[in-house]
Amino acid sequence: MFLTRSEYDRGVNTFSPEGRLFQVEYAIEAIKLGSTAIGIQTNEGVVLAVEKRVTSPLIEPSSIEKILEVDDHIGCAMSGLIADSRTLVDRARVEAQNHWFTYNEKMSVESVTQAVSNLALAFGDDDSEQAVMSRPFGVALLFAGIDKGGPQLYHMDPSGTFIKYEAKAIGSGSEGAQQALQDVYHKSMTLKEACKSALTILKQVMEEKLNSTNVEMSTVTAEKKFHVFSKQELEEVIKDI
Amino acid sequence: MEVLNNRGVEDYQTAGPKQSYFSPYSFNGGSILAVAGEDFAVIASDSRLSEGFSIHTRDQPKTYQLTQNTVVGACGFHGDVLTLIKVLKARIKMYLHEHNKDMSSTAVAAMLSTILYYRRFFPYYVYNIVAGIDDEGKGCVFSFDPVGSYEREPYRAGGSASSMLQPLMDNQVGFKNLPKQARVPLSKEEVVKKVRDGFISAAERDIYTGDEVVVNIITKDGVEVERFPLRKD
Repeated sequence: MFLTRSEYDRGVNTFSPEGRLFQVEYAIEAIKLGSTAIGIQTNEGVVLAVEKRVTSPLIEPSSIEKILEVDDHIGCAMSGLIADSRTLVDRARVEAQNHWFTYNEKMSVESVTQAVSNLALAFGDDDSEQAVMSRPFGVALLFAGIDKGGPQLYHMDPSGTFIKYEAKAIGSGSEGAQQALQDVYHKSMTLKEACKSALTILKQVMEEKLNSTNVEMSTVTAEKKFHVFSKQELEEVIKDI
Repeated sequence: MEVLNNRGVEDYQTAGPKQSYFSPYSFNGGSILAVAGEDFAVIASDSRLSEGFSIHTRDQPKTYQLTQNTVVGACGFHGDVLTLIKVLKARIKMYLHEHNKDMSSTAVAAMLSTILYYRRFFPYYVYNIVAGIDDEGKGCVFSFDPVGSYEREPYRAGGSASSMLQPLMDNQVGFKNLPKQARVPLSKEEVVKKVRDGFISAAERDIYTGDEVVVNIITKDGVEVERFPLRKD
């Protein structure tokens, strides 16, 4: 590793002779250590589901939050270094409110994702410039929301690349989960089916046994906007899988 | 020449009181008038640009098309009008590139309000009216004061002859003080006729309104412009 990658993975903004930015690639690798998060878009709305790693019985599970509200109509699920996501979600919230303040309309999901992705490459080891961050973010985000274009799901990684998905999994179980999503997803899926599928797939890739305390799920719909499932609502879905 | 007073002390003199003025504004006249219909909006202005008793030009309409279906009318100090319109056009282009869509008339109105309020303590001396089509396809009119207070209204007059145009429109478009049977929604052609008549009357009494009236008819398909002559004296 030291031979082949020599010095080029030291400077965070230095390309290797093969044209790679190792620190950014390592950051993308860091996501694969995180807990699994799944997003599915349907015509009725978008569902986000994440696994919570409750590593000790003394942990208060409700203090682990991996799905956050960005605005009434946009939610965000994350995997990787959760602490890094604070900066990103804060930015998303500020951008969404600024947009509402200036234009008196809801910011589109794509625009929020775009605004946040601008932060992703704002790192550097140069002291002279106003580089705020010393390294890339170690977190991937799933933005789920509803706007004029209907329900939408976007994935953003530490390189700042963002892509629209119908269904996407991130985190340690993402490979298996993505395959399972491909098998189960169809365009006419109802939101209820999507919720069920999301938890079924999470159950398959989780190491612990899935229950209502070690998963988090939320939906974004036209009627209820961003909505986090309560323990009872979760149990309701879990009993069917 | 030394002047000594009776105590033998030299007299001194001070400069008298002096006042300095800074007058960054002037008033260039012009009137604007907008009416919202069911699926259309009409916004018109005269084309005279003047200052005091002199006319700068007879061909400066004060309506500006900003998007496919949004037109803003702006009058007051023409220098500020030009800058404000430039800012608006730039912001609308930036919005298009940032969000990959045209700005809606309601968003233009909201943005104009914030742009004006950010100059709360050195305002743009501009009276604005935004006319367009809203997200539901209905005609809309938004009126503004120079520091950004705004409101959606069925019709509104602004600028130098606003105090003559507004009560006329209250009666003719808002059906104020008219019997119930007279309150029939107006067609595009009827609105254009009433707007034109309003300007003809205003040009009779207001020296800052005249030369030509430029009428913009906004529908979902875009903006049509018609011009009619007014008094030129």
